Amino acid sequence: MDCTNKERKQQMEGIKIVYGDCTLGVHGTDFHYIFSYQSGGLESLVTDGKEWLYRVPKPTFWRATTDNDRGNKFPLRSGMWLGADMFIDCTGIDIFVDDKKIEMPIAPENNRYSGNETAEKVKIIFTYRTITVPATTVEVAYEITAAGDIEVHVHYYGNKKLPELPVFGMRFVMPTKAVSYRYEGLSGETYPDRMAGGVEGIYEVEGLPVTKYLVPQDCNMHMNTKWLEVFRNTTQDNSNMDSSIFGLKFSSVEKEFAFACIPYTAEELENATHQEELPAARRTVVSILGAVRGVGGINSWGADVEPAYHIDAEKDIKYSFKISRI
Amino acid sequence: MKADIRFLDNPEIFCINQIPAHSDHRFYNSHHEMQAGVNSLIQSLNGKWKFRYSINAKERPEGFYKESSDTENFDEIIVPCHIEMAGYDKIHYVNTMYPWEGHIFRRPAYSLDGKRAEGTFSEADYNPVGSYLKKFDLEEGLFGKRVCICFEGVEQAMYVWLNGVFVGYGEDSFTPSEFDLTPYIREKNNVLAVEVHKRSTAAFLEDQDFFRFFGIFRNVTLYAKPVIHVEDMWAKPTLKEDNASGSLALDLKMSFLTESGNMIVTLKDDAGHVCFKKTVLVKEEIYLEPEEIENVIPWNHHNPYLYLLMIEVFDKSGNLMEVVPYKIGFRRLEIKNKVILLNGKRLILNGVNRHEWSAKSGRCISEREMKMDMEIFLKNHINAVRTSHYPNQIPWYSLCDENGIYMMAETNLESHGSWQKMGNVEPSWNVPGSIIQWREAVADRAKTNFEIFKNHTSILFWSLGNESYAGDNIESMNHFFKEKDNSRLVHYEGVFHNRIYNETISDVESRMYAAPEEIVRHLEENPVKPFILCEYMHDMGNSLGGMKSYMDLLDKYEMYQGGFIWDYIDQALFVKDEITGEEVLRYGGDFDDRPSDYEFSGNGIVFADRREKPAMQEVRYYYGLHK
Repeated sequence: MDCTNKERKQQMEGIKIVYGDCTLGVHGTDFHYIFSYQSGGLESLVTDGKEWLYRVPKPTFWRATTDNDRGNKFPLRSGMWLGADMFIDCTGIDIFVDDKKIEMPIAPENNRYSGNETAEKVKIIFTYRTITVPATTVEVAYEITAAGDIEVHVHYYGNKKLPELPVFGMRFVMPTKAVSYRYEGLSGETYPDRMAGGVEGIYEVEGLPVTKYLVPQDCNMHMNTKWLEVFRNTTQDNSNMDSSIFGLKFSSVEKEFAFACIPYTAEELENATHQEELPAARRTVVSILGAVRGVGGINSWGADVEPAYHIDAEKDIKYSFKISRI
Repeated sequence: MKADIRFLDNPEIFCINQIPAHSDHRFYNSHHEMQAGVNSLIQSLNGKWKFRYSINAKERPEGFYKESSDTENFDEIIVPCHIEMAGYDKIHYVNTMYPWEGHIFRRPAYSLDGKRAEGTFSEADYNPVGSYLKKFDLEEGLFGKRVCICFEGVEQAMYVWLNGVFVGYGEDSFTPSEFDLTPYIREKNNVLAVEVHKRSTAAFLEDQDFFRFFGIFRNVTLYAKPVIHVEDMWAKPTLKEDNASGSLALDLKMSFLTESGNMIVTLKDDAGHVCFKKTVLVKEEIYLEPEEIENVIPWNHHNPYLYLLMIEVFDKSGNLMEVVPYKIGFRRLEIKNKVILLNGKRLILNGVNRHEWSAKSGRCISEREMKMDMEIFLKNHINAVRTSHYPNQIPWYSLCDENGIYMMAETNLESHGSWQKMGNVEPSWNVPGSIIQWREAVADRAKTNFEIFKNHTSILFWSLGNESYAGDNIESMNHFFKEKDNSRLVHYEGVFHNRIYNETISDVESRMYAAPEEIVRHLEENPVKPFILCEYMHDMGNSLGGMKSYMDLLDKYEMYQGGFIWDYIDQALFVKDEITGEEVLRYGGDFDDRPSDYEFSGNGIVFADRREKPAMQEVRYYYGLHK
């Protein structure tokens, strides 16, 4: 069956919904998603039998400080976002089936469903409360279409009492290290204030390179990206003997996104003072970002990033992207 | 004169018995050797030497230079290399602080109370000494001739003996120190002894932002002078307003053992056509009046056209004694309406500061690395280099001539820690300042820089040094260059911190790290001098954002003429990781070196191993806009 036929069949049959006691399962012929009420997010994203998630994706607010960030004391002003990046509370879950909001389907409410529930469209919105002082809210809506694509709508609610942000977006940690990634966007490592030299095109990057700055710091950012495909050939599933390459695609919706695809979280980079202190590269950390602070460059002992490249925490940040099978 | 350990403490003693600095021309005894690229007049002393490390002058093997001395307990070391890199003394990186900060209290001689500060270095408990010995036989090509020795770079103070006799003393780590060995040398069993001290009064003048090394870190070479020899040459090509004709004057200093002879001076273009040929009688000093040259092709970045100047020296009977080839270019540098013009066109500097660096061997680099750097320059539209902050190895200057790289040739001077403390200007005890006893030391550094490199077409600016505040002594350096050389401009940034010297120091308004809006403010206030940034875009780690704001100034202000990115290469060293055994890069503070400025040594647009940083594509883009 070719892809179009497969999609058509899927659309005709609709998507299956499993109204579990702790999770919401959303399944199709070759996709299998589980949203966890306990972990507050998308716990499992399986395409063609392969798991894509190590832990529930959460909003991300931190980048490993650059030398310039430290030089201009940015972390002293904005350090609370580091805590927010590591620890966040899911305070609300709303579920919509075929555009209708349903009662939270946990027992006994879900007893009325059967093992044969379908829909054309499912949306689940997770509301997060940051640990910043004052706190603010982030909403992440996952909208699953009949074809099995997931549109992710991310909304950060601005608060004028909060300090500037280093980045804002969603972080996906995948169970194993990717073999390569492809994207359409700008060449090389780019930032909002350093992307004039980036040449538009489609690029394939082997392995998961980490730019070897003397002191590990934020790196491998790619601005203005239309889409990103991540390829792996390993899983943590002990019964999986298949080592063929499989991929997942992130595509922009309306406006382009920024991303980084490296084996480390911001915190892992932040903790290391040398490249050799970084842990063995064993996972894939994909950050799909709606806002990125510039790196600056006037000097490294106080000059701030130019004002146009700051992220004002007072303003709302809204962006969307789509996750799909390849 | 006898060697005296007190030389180390005396700023008025910086060289003894050295051959006066002279042009860096190569010379051969035949056309055949010149074409084959061999030179039987030269003998390298690089390689294995005997070596003894001592922690201070008191502990050093004092009489080691005597032929009868016992050197049983000496080790071996490779020359050239930094003594620290051979494992004898702690590797240390620190930026502006003097390296003894927090360990030893020091004030420069004649500063503050005006005292001589005897013993400051010679009696210090920690001031390591490297005692080097080299036994050698003279190679045949040098037999019976006047033989000299050239130390291209020794950090930071050295005493030299040959066969037990004191030959001389030198400081200024980054320019050649040469001595005449003729009276003491023999064909076989020579014993050369060199005692290198880590710190002397020169340390106050060499406070550059780099790893603090010592030792013989550049080539050591013997050379023999032919019977008649060009000691010094200064070719003075000019390009006329029409950019199509020029002139060439030539000053020569000659030495000869027998009766003098004749010389033929020839200028050939790139295709080998003779543009000019003249026969001259050899005298001690020769001044060839400017000779008109027609159909000149000007030298610039896009067409670094060089001519071959050839001097052939003959004795009375017409035998060829010496051949000196030198490549020169015709160009015209001037300031008109407060704008620097090269060959009549506004000069734009797409520049970078460059430290000599290798992650394997520190500042001891080879021509291979220089060539790699040049390739990276050209690939990324870099058209200018500042030799931050000391004269570089000689081949780099020729590479810049051949590739059209506009050079700011910096003198070996930085006294940062003497006037700026914790970021604040605090010049209570600064050197060289206006202290008379420090004047000759810095004047000599300027003179040496000039004399060695004066024939290099690529040099557009003489730089007086880096971050050394401003006083009468730096003013005298400025005066020296202005008086000597009207084909180039003088650069110095430090006058920004002491505006009293505004009119007498620097032909250009030079700033470092000025924000774009500060530059606009300056340029809008009817400035007097053309404006350049000797350092900007501090590329530490993941940086180089916001370059557009600087590049836009080029289009907006004629007087804004670009700058030099800080800097070319990360200073970091390969070390075998204690845990994994893998080669990893280490920086300041990783050697238990304190105080340190840690990763502040890594600001390159290439990593320490010369791989380009991601920011390079931004450099390539912006530097490609105003080619």
